[in-house]
Amino acid sequence: MTMRSVKHLLLAAAALAVTVALASPGWAKELRILAWQGYADDDWVKEFKGQCGCDVSVVFIGTDDEIWAKIKGSEGKDFDLFAVNTAQLQRYIDAGLTTPIDLDKIPNQKQTLPRFQDLSKVTGVMRDGKVHSVPYAFDSIGIIYDPKKVSSAPDSMTVLWDPKYKGKVLDYDNGEHNFTITALTMGIADPYKLTAEQMDTAKKKLIDLKHNILSFYTTADEALQLWQNNDVAVMFANYGQQQVKMMKDAGLDIVYVNPKEGAIAWLDTWALTSGVRDKELAESWINFVLQKKIGEQLSQRTGFGNTVAPFPSASDKDTMVWLEFVEDPTKRADLWNEIKAAP
Amino acid sequence: MEGRVQHPPLLRPMDQRDIADGRRAVGAWPDALLTATAWALPTAFILVPLLLFLILGFFEIQGTEIVYRLTLKNYTRFFTDAGFLPTFISTCLLGLKVAAIAVVLGYPIAYLLASLRGRAKYTVAMFFAVPLLMSYIIKIYAIRSILGGNGFLNRSLLYLGVIDEPWTFLIFNLNAVMLTLAILLVPFAILPIFVALERIPRNLLEASADLGARPLLTFLTVILPLSLQGVVIGASLTFVLAIGDYVTPQMVGGIEGFTFGRIIYSQFGFGNNWPFGAALSVILLIPVLMAIVAADRAGRARYAT
Repeated sequence: MTMRSVKHLLLAAAALAVTVALASPGWAKELRILAWQGYADDDWVKEFKGQCGCDVSVVFIGTDDEIWAKIKGSEGKDFDLFAVNTAQLQRYIDAGLTTPIDLDKIPNQKQTLPRFQDLSKVTGVMRDGKVHSVPYAFDSIGIIYDPKKVSSAPDSMTVLWDPKYKGKVLDYDNGEHNFTITALTMGIADPYKLTAEQMDTAKKKLIDLKHNILSFYTTADEALQLWQNNDVAVMFANYGQQQVKMMKDAGLDIVYVNPKEGAIAWLDTWALTSGVRDKELAESWINFVLQKKIGEQLSQRTGFGNTVAPFPSASDKDTMVWLEFVEDPTKRADLWNEIKAAP
Repeated sequence: MEGRVQHPPLLRPMDQRDIADGRRAVGAWPDALLTATAWALPTAFILVPLLLFLILGFFEIQGTEIVYRLTLKNYTRFFTDAGFLPTFISTCLLGLKVAAIAVVLGYPIAYLLASLRGRAKYTVAMFFAVPLLMSYIIKIYAIRSILGGNGFLNRSLLYLGVIDEPWTFLIFNLNAVMLTLAILLVPFAILPIFVALERIPRNLLEASADLGARPLLTFLTVILPLSLQGVVIGASLTFVLAIGDYVTPQMVGGIEGFTFGRIIYSQFGFGNNWPFGAALSVILLIPVLMAIVAADRAGRARYAT
């Protein structure tokens, strides 16, 4: 063969490869999941694959805004199923990014714990009589402290502002939650719907908080690394039991406590995207993970509460302030930037 | 003149005899295809996204949706709202400081590399380029845990008895951001300076010595001026990479770790204001373009004076 015909052959092969890659949607049926670590463990995925004879791909995310970027960014087309908390869920429903779920396809939902049986009583999962997501896991946001460094056991988020611990405090880098906990310390009844005046007062308090902390953190393992490598006494524990477990496994002596003014509590659910390819397949996954044994494993492995099997996560004495969609997330984010930019 | 003969494509560079023979380097249509691809790739992957960003910056959001109505709101907001312009300026200053530190750290290393002979030169150069193969985040994690109050550095110094209390000023402040960025970006400063030093003909140095100049004078009057273009290119590259960074400031800057990159980042996250983020990105392009022009000017500087 001459060099010229080899070159033509290579060009043709490249064109063919590109066409095939673009055209093939995959031969077997596939379930595309977007979830937090711990919600779609390898062994569960493997068992599910065996049961359904399908392919499962899982993409893990670390923050709420990553979920928004991926689902909104692809207009719901890149994934079939995603894990989202009841508060964040509202903006997906508003944007038409979810598909209502057919509960008849999820018989295991009838065996959940009493609190999660009647979905119309679970704030946020239903809209206009349709079920947009199914509850799966929950936890609260509280305080983690080192009992050797903190003299008396703290019972309120105000400990983060305590000048005794200046430079030994870690805060979570997120405007929404910081405004909420500040509002709760201010005694505001509805911390998710703040007025401009209340936000202003909270902003000043948060600038004070900023001057008391050592650093912000974004993920749970970042917080662990910061705690291990620096002199830290107390922390805003955004990842609740997940952080407690992680730190105890790392050999750290820490105590978790829910603030008396009320602890933010989140409820994670499974929702179908507007671009779901195989609705029944997605619903069968939800049914699969709502089995008691999976729920127990979820709680054992992560420390979160699950919706099907009892697990000692949050005590009944604690006041849970279930997460809701805030009045203006953009405004809280902008104010948070101003707080961080303030000298 | 006989008719032009069709030759098979050359696999070696053309020379005068080939041109006299009437050869062309490749056939007609693969040539056109290659040219088209060469233009299409940067257009599609660089120019088009930049244009889309430019346009997006002229829209606004209402609630969670983008409203496709042209407005200058995002750009005026940058100037009128508190926090944006000061952060922008401090970020550019940070970038300049990082570029300066990276060049100061990188020049001696590049000089060392240029003075090595034979295989040692490129082997050692490889070692300084290896950090670029590592994950960016892992490197920052490593630096952060080394510099922490309870980190490796402090524990060593305490163990050796050099200090009594751990040094807490190395981390969670703007200096930490500057230092970390400089360490991360120094390979980008080393390489252009190394290339510029390599291009200095040895006979110029020999001539300088023959004329009686001591090594320091040779360095100051011959080597340094001729390597300046590499310094400018290295500094520009480091500057551009530093000002856009939004990970390092958050991870090692503590409460001072707030830069323009983080403002842009938040618009694509919880801020959910993509048009505003796009406008801010376009604004950040201005110092970037200035740095590129500076590097380009330096690159074109006349070599021999």
